[in-house]
Amino acid sequence: MRYAILLLGAPYSHQASHSALRFARALVARGHRLEAVFFYHDGVHNASRLAAPPQDEPHLVDAWVDLSREHQVSLQVCIAAALRRGLLDEREAARHGKGGSNVEAPFELTGLGQLIDLGTRCDRLVTFGP
Amino acid sequence: MQLHDDNIARDLLVILRHGPHGSSWLREGLDAALVAAAFGQSVSLLFMGEGVAALVAGQQPGPLGQKGSAATLEMLEMYDIESLLVEEQALSRLGLMEDELMLDVEPLAAGALAEVLSAHRLVLTF
Amino acid sequence: MLLHVVNRSPATSRVFEQALAGMAPDDYLLLIEDGVQGALPHLVRYYEGVEGRLFALKEDLESRGLLGRCAGSVQVIDVDGFVTLSEEAERTVSWY
Repeated sequence: MRYAILLLGAPYSHQASHSALRFARALVARGHRLEAVFFYHDGVHNASRLAAPPQDEPHLVDAWVDLSREHQVSLQVCIAAALRRGLLDEREAARHGKGGSNVEAPFELTGLGQLIDLGTRCDRLVTFGP
Repeated sequence: MQLHDDNIARDLLVILRHGPHGSSWLREGLDAALVAAAFGQSVSLLFMGEGVAALVAGQQPGPLGQKGSAATLEMLEMYDIESLLVEEQALSRLGLMEDELMLDVEPLAAGALAEVLSAHRLVLTF
Repeated sequence: MLLHVVNRSPATSRVFEQALAGMAPDDYLLLIEDGVQGALPHLVRYYEGVEGRLFALKEDLESRGLLGRCAGSVQVIDVDGFVTLSEEAERTVSWY
């Protein structure tokens, strides 16, 4: 089956992103296809390349990147939610005159339309909230 | 809620469970619903729990200029949202009457939610 | 058949009531994260009427030291079981 995950919780602050990651890994292990993870609300914080948790703690951002690379999972970050919370890629940073950016590939800033499209295309969409 | 005769599911049910201003949930849930409607999907909105507070008439922007969602809700007609439902029990818990609300909504009685959930292809809770 | 997921304890949050309000007679309910507290014998009474359709996520019980304290009526499943339930259910609705 084709799955999508909607993630609404920030890493570390709530267990949502941990639960989502475990679910994501389990579903690909069972042979399903994970089309995308859509990050919305505080979930956009999972895209920050500046996250620097201690070595002995889970690194959620890296884990999403690994999952994406290993299983061709699209990592889509709602651009409106991201900008409001200070998650910007190079293009948005330039557009807004910011000194730096903290979102890079494979995370992509996209519109909510992508979430709606995932909901239509996929067999299952599971939400993990804070 | 009227289901189509041949029971074809509607595309999307967005459940709004948070009131205005206190958090971004209402705004973000509404945005998802509106985008889906703009994409031509058949969308229903359900105001549930604290979400019924989103319908109170006479809302204002926040003291720091926060927009809130009242203006968006007032324009819902233009967005082609198929149905607006409100949880009856939540209304009475807040002591609100249907005619005090800023929009015409259909009451959802206790026990009727399960049917509404299964009548939509996708359910998103906010 | 729908799968409902609750991630908060019935002792501290009322989202479980929303999940119960949305459940059809053949729907399943899975407790995850802090929601696994609802599997404790003292709290499982909040889920009266869901017997045989109530599940709790093993890893979340374990990490909270609650694995051995689960009420007998709750079915403990691991994340693979969670995926399986989501396959079987037409859709999954999260109450958080």
